[in-house]
Amino acid sequence: MIGAALRGLVLLLALAGAARAQAPAANTPQLTADLSTVRVEITTGFTGSSVMVFGATERLIGPQSGEDVVIVAWGPPQATVVRRKVNVLGFWLNGPSAVFREVPGFYAIAATRPVWEVLPEEVRRTGRLGLDALPLRASGSQGPAFRAALLELKQQDGRWQEYAAPVTVAGGRLFSARVSFPDTVQTGDYRVEVLLVREQRIIARQELFLRVDRVGTAASIAYVARTAPVVYGIGCIVLAALAGWLGSVIFRRN
Amino acid sequence: MQVYLPIAEMSVDGLLLLGIGFGVGWLSGLFGVGGGFLLTPILILIGIPSPVAVASGANQTLGASVSGLMAQWRRGNVDLRMGSVLLVGGVVGSALGVQLFAILRRAGQVDLAVAIFYVVILGTVGLLMVRESVRAILRRRRTGVAAARAHEHTWLHGLPFKVRFRKSRLYISVIPPLLVGLAIGVLSAVMGVGGGFMLVPAMIYLLGMPTSVVIGTSLFQVVFVSANVTLLQAVQVGSVDIVLTLLLLAGGVVGAQFGASMGTKLRGEETRALLGLLVLSVALGLLYDLVRAPANLFAIGPVP
Repeated sequence: MIGAALRGLVLLLALAGAARAQAPAANTPQLTADLSTVRVEITTGFTGSSVMVFGATERLIGPQSGEDVVIVAWGPPQATVVRRKVNVLGFWLNGPSAVFREVPGFYAIAATRPVWEVLPEEVRRTGRLGLDALPLRASGSQGPAFRAALLELKQQDGRWQEYAAPVTVAGGRLFSARVSFPDTVQTGDYRVEVLLVREQRIIARQELFLRVDRVGTAASIAYVARTAPVVYGIGCIVLAALAGWLGSVIFRRN
Repeated sequence: MQVYLPIAEMSVDGLLLLGIGFGVGWLSGLFGVGGGFLLTPILILIGIPSPVAVASGANQTLGASVSGLMAQWRRGNVDLRMGSVLLVGGVVGSALGVQLFAILRRAGQVDLAVAIFYVVILGTVGLLMVRESVRAILRRRRTGVAAARAHEHTWLHGLPFKVRFRKSRLYISVIPPLLVGLAIGVLSAVMGVGGGFMLVPAMIYLLGMPTSVVIGTSLFQVVFVSANVTLLQAVQVGSVDIVLTLLLLAGGVVGAQFGASMGTKLRGEETRALLGLLVLSVALGLLYDLVRAPANLFAIGPVP
C-alpha cells in the first residue's frame, strides 16, 4: 500500500517535471497513467474501497486544445439474471427472466467530457465506452425493458457507474479520478483503460491492471467454504454448538 | 461497526446483527423455541440473500438450541427413544428439503417458495395456537382450574409397529412420529428454521405427549436436524455464513437467558397465546409483502 503510494508520488513528481520542461522530446509519451494501488483488499471490516487513477498528458487537456481524457474500469464478467415480477392471482411472483452472460460485474467510466460528445458512435461501440455502448445480449426473455432494468439496477447498487466521479485536471496536464468499489464488489482481476481523445479519435491509450482479493479471515473462510465444504459445514456446526454452550454457561440466570 | 460477511459477500452493521440476535434470542428464551422462524425473515428484510439467510438461520438455530437442550437434559426431560424416531424422520426429511431448495433455486423461485412456506405454515400454526390457548384461558376463567387434557385415542393409535415410549408414557406406532419428523425436516431445510414452533404443537396434539418432555425432546430433534441442514446447505448450496451465524449467536445466547427468566413468570396458556400471536403476525407481514405491488417490477441477481 505504502509502496504503491510512494511509487505514485515518484511518478507524479517525474511527470510534473516533464510537464514543466518547455520543449518535449519527440519520444515523450502523449499519455502516462498509473493507479494508486494495484491491489484492493477485502478484509473483515471492508465497506467498499476506491482507487485513484492519475497521470499526465503531453499537451494541455481541455476545450482549448480539444483533448479529453476518458477512464474506464472493468471488472470480471458476471452472468446476471434479470427477473420480472408478475401478478398471479393477487400474488407477485418471479415471472419471465433474461440472462445476460457476458456483462461486466463492475463497470465505471469517467471522463473530462461525456464520451458521446467527443467520440463517434462506432468508436464508442467497439471500445465499449459508456453504458449505452455495452453489448447487452440476453438469452431468455428479450425486450428493451429487461435491458433498461439491468442498467438501472446495476447503477443503483453502484456496480456500474457512468460519470459518477469527475476527472479533475490540475495545471492543464495532470489528471486524476477516483474509481469507487462498493462493498459487494467481486474478487478477481480488474482492468483500467485510460484513453486520450482528440478530434473524435483515440490518439493514445494505456491499460492498467489491479486485483481485488479477500485477505485475512474473510479470505480463509471463503477459501475453506469453497474448497472443503464438508469440513467447513462441520466447523460451522461445532462452532455454533460451542457458542451456544458457552453462552448458556456464562450468562446463566437462575 | 461494519462487518464483511465472506459468504454473503456484503458488509452489514455488526451491532445491528447483535441486536437482532438479542431480540430473537429473548423471544426464543421466553417461548422455548429456536426463533428461526423470526430470524430468517428479518435477515432477508435487511438484505441478506435468501439462500444465505436460510442456511445461516439453521446454523444459528443449532447453537441456540444446544444451550436449551443441555438445561432440559439435566432435568431429565428428554425422551431419547421418541427423539431418535423423530430424528430418523427429520434427517431424511431435511435431506429431501435441501434437494427441494436446490431445485427451487435453479428455477429462480426460492424467494417465492420460502415466502409461501412461511405464510402457510406460520399462518396455520399461529391460528391453531391462538385458538387453543384462548380456549384454555377462557376455560380456566370459568372453572378456576387449568383443564388437564385427556389423552385422546384416534385412528393414529391403530397403526402397526407399536413401540413403548416410557418417558412420554405412550404406546403407539412409530409411523406417526416418523412422519412428523419427516415433514418438519423438509420444512426446516426450506425455511431455515429448527422447526420447534411446529414440532411442539405436533407432539402435544398429534402424538399426545405430555408437556413436560415436549420441549426437551423437541430441542433434541432440532439440534440434530439443524446440524444436518447446516452441513447439507454448506455442501450443496455453499451458503452458510459463519461470521453471520456467530454474530447472531453472540446476541442470541444473552437474550435467551433474559427471555427464559422472564418466561417463568408467565402462565403456559398466556405464553402460548403470545407466541401464537407473534407467529401469526410474522405470517401476515410476509403475506402483505407477497400481495403488495412491488416498488420495482424487476430484480437482478447472479445466475445460480
